[in-house]
Amino acid sequence: MKSFDYVITDEVGIHARPAGLLVKEAKKYASKITIKKGEKGAEATKLMALMGLGVKKDDTVTVEVAGDDEDQAVEAIQAFFQQNF
Amino acid sequence: MALDYAKCAKEIFQLVGGRDNLVSAAHCATRLRLVTADNGKIDMKKLEDVEGVKGVFSSNGQLQLIIGTGTVNKVYDEFLKVSGMSAATKEEVKAAAAAQQPLVKRMVKALGDVFVPILPAIVASGLMMGIVEALGKAMPAFSGTDWYAFLDMIANTAFAFLPVIVAVSAARVFGGNIFLGGVIGLMMIHSALLNAWNAGSPDAINSFFGIDTGVIPTWNLFGNIHIGNYVLGSIPRVGYQGHVIPVIISVWLMCQIEKWLHKHVPEVIDLFVTPLTTVFVTACFTFMIIGPIFSTAETYILTFAKALVANPFGALVMGALYPCTVVMGLHHMYNVIEAGMLSSVGLNTWMPIASAANFAQFGACLAVGIKTHKAKTRTIAVPSSMSAALGITEPAIFGVNFRYMKPFACGMVGGACGAVFGAISKIGATAYGVTGIPGYLTINNACLYTILLLISGGVAFALTWIIWKEEADEDDAAAGAAGKDSKKDDTLAVTAAENEILAPLTGKAVALSELPDETFASGVLGQGMGIEPTIGEVRAPFDATIATVAETKHAIGFSGPKDMELLIHVGIDTVKMNGDGFNVLVSEGDEVKAGQKLMTFDIQKIKAAGHPTVTAVLLNNSDDYDNFKADKTGQVKAGEVVMTI
Repeated sequence: MKSFDYVITDEVGIHARPAGLLVKEAKKYASKITIKKGEKGAEATKLMALMGLGVKKDDTVTVEVAGDDEDQAVEAIQAFFQQNF
Repeated sequence: MALDYAKCAKEIFQLVGGRDNLVSAAHCATRLRLVTADNGKIDMKKLEDVEGVKGVFSSNGQLQLIIGTGTVNKVYDEFLKVSGMSAATKEEVKAAAAAQQPLVKRMVKALGDVFVPILPAIVASGLMMGIVEALGKAMPAFSGTDWYAFLDMIANTAFAFLPVIVAVSAARVFGGNIFLGGVIGLMMIHSALLNAWNAGSPDAINSFFGIDTGVIPTWNLFGNIHIGNYVLGSIPRVGYQGHVIPVIISVWLMCQIEKWLHKHVPEVIDLFVTPLTTVFVTACFTFMIIGPIFSTAETYILTFAKALVANPFGALVMGALYPCTVVMGLHHMYNVIEAGMLSSVGLNTWMPIASAANFAQFGACLAVGIKTHKAKTRTIAVPSSMSAALGITEPAIFGVNFRYMKPFACGMVGGACGAVFGAISKIGATAYGVTGIPGYLTINNACLYTILLLISGGVAFALTWIIWKEEADEDDAAAGAAGKDSKKDDTLAVTAAENEILAPLTGKAVALSELPDETFASGVLGQGMGIEPTIGEVRAPFDATIATVAETKHAIGFSGPKDMELLIHVGIDTVKMNGDGFNVLVSEGDEVKAGQKLMTFDIQKIKAAGHPTVTAVLLNNSDDYDNFKADKTGQVKAGEVVMTI
């Protein structure tokens, strides 16, 4: 399993639109991708769960990637976060 | 920091316009419910800003402030202290809200409220009476037996004493003492008065009063003082059997008198003065004012009806008006017409008209029973329609058709069609007393009679089926708004099958690709549709759990059946409005029912802020379903099916 921490810099946080893009990105990989904020966690492929996290600007999230293609996935997701959040 | 209940209550009190503008206050699990004299005086926006108030909206004449479980009761207590009001039950708030509805609507509603509780009694009697009378006609030998007499007595009890049942129910509805109401009802059919059903028969009059004039004698309380044709204090000694409206009017008046007296009579003598005065005044009013008005109306209607039925056009009019006369309680006079026809020409041509009218009410009532989505309405409408088919229409008219008005009107049209056919085909009956299906026993041409029933019942059924639409709000004042729980409030009477998504908004549906936002249009957030709203309300698209509510209140996410994840995003770029103009009534984790109101928003405000109002309804995981369909475009109404998986 791979993981990284990320501090959100986007004004609106993990909001509908970027969250939707994240879901799309996450679905490209076989690995299970989990976004964690404190106690709460959400699968990156579940939009509602993602939005339910209520991630805002300056929040720190932990992204965990586990599965066969975790090496590629973690890289892509990290890039995605930097671009979008 | 804990909420300062007193401060919150005080601010609300000031913002709603003080004591002068308050009618009543109550609370439910989460909301403070206020009825104000003038909702327009209230600054909703400022109310929302009061600390502790999570949302404000106005519904069914009530102002509802969402405060929250466990808090609302404390704020409410403080509110009573500040305002100096006494605790009102939810029913009282409801009643006060109802008082702000138009008069006619209130009257029809009152009639329904009076009748619904007594329906079991009159439906049972209606069905039994229909069967017993039919058997009596079918087997003349049977009608002479003790069994027939016994069954007939059981069957017609509720109808013979209908004014009493109505009076008791009315007293309850109008807030009076039900036993005093009972007294008024009993008085109106007292055995010292001639049974109204016999009022048209001189023989019955003579034998009842031991006279030979054939005219109903009167009591003259004030001698012979004439006011025009009206003799002051002259009371015809005839009862009110079969009447409904005069009874309700009398009992309503009684309740007003009683309530007024309770307030103004000193407690020491209240028990003695109030009931006595109430009953006496009501009785005087009933027999001296209501009675004469109705008996005069009866005489005119009888003359009018006799003249009308002489030609087919008149039959048409009579077929339409007949149920109205049932509502007024005048139909018992028609026996006179029928008896007259039989003795003069030997054929009762009135009966086909009455049958058409009654059978049309059956058709209309049955259509309601089949079309309704509410189990409660169905359990009333179906048996009531059966009773109407047997010629006893009161349950169908008062319990169903008249309450909803449209079915009643459709029944009138059906009755008119059937009646004109009856008049043209010149069929008639050889006896009187039965209509509807039992009418076969007395009719002279069963084949034409069948056509008549089919026309009247069929037209009424079809019209009702097309025209009558169940309004969610019809019973709302009674069921919905009273709400056992805030979550049941303002819910459309709709259900969604597991694979259906209902329109969450009313407006114009457009294809997803036409949304002026690339993210939505491209389907990144899933497939779906856009709705250009005409009403600023979002309702649940299926039974769901609220997965997420955007902090800025403009979007709601749902988890629904079959793992559906659905997002409703009101307007484009409305995140920038920071919640201004949006009012979300639910919070994350709430279980909601299909059709439940979840959010209100101000369409004008969104437009003013320069954002498109078109709202995205997106099934985020639409890729997971093979048969996802969202091809609906054009006008849609909240609650109709717009997408399927």
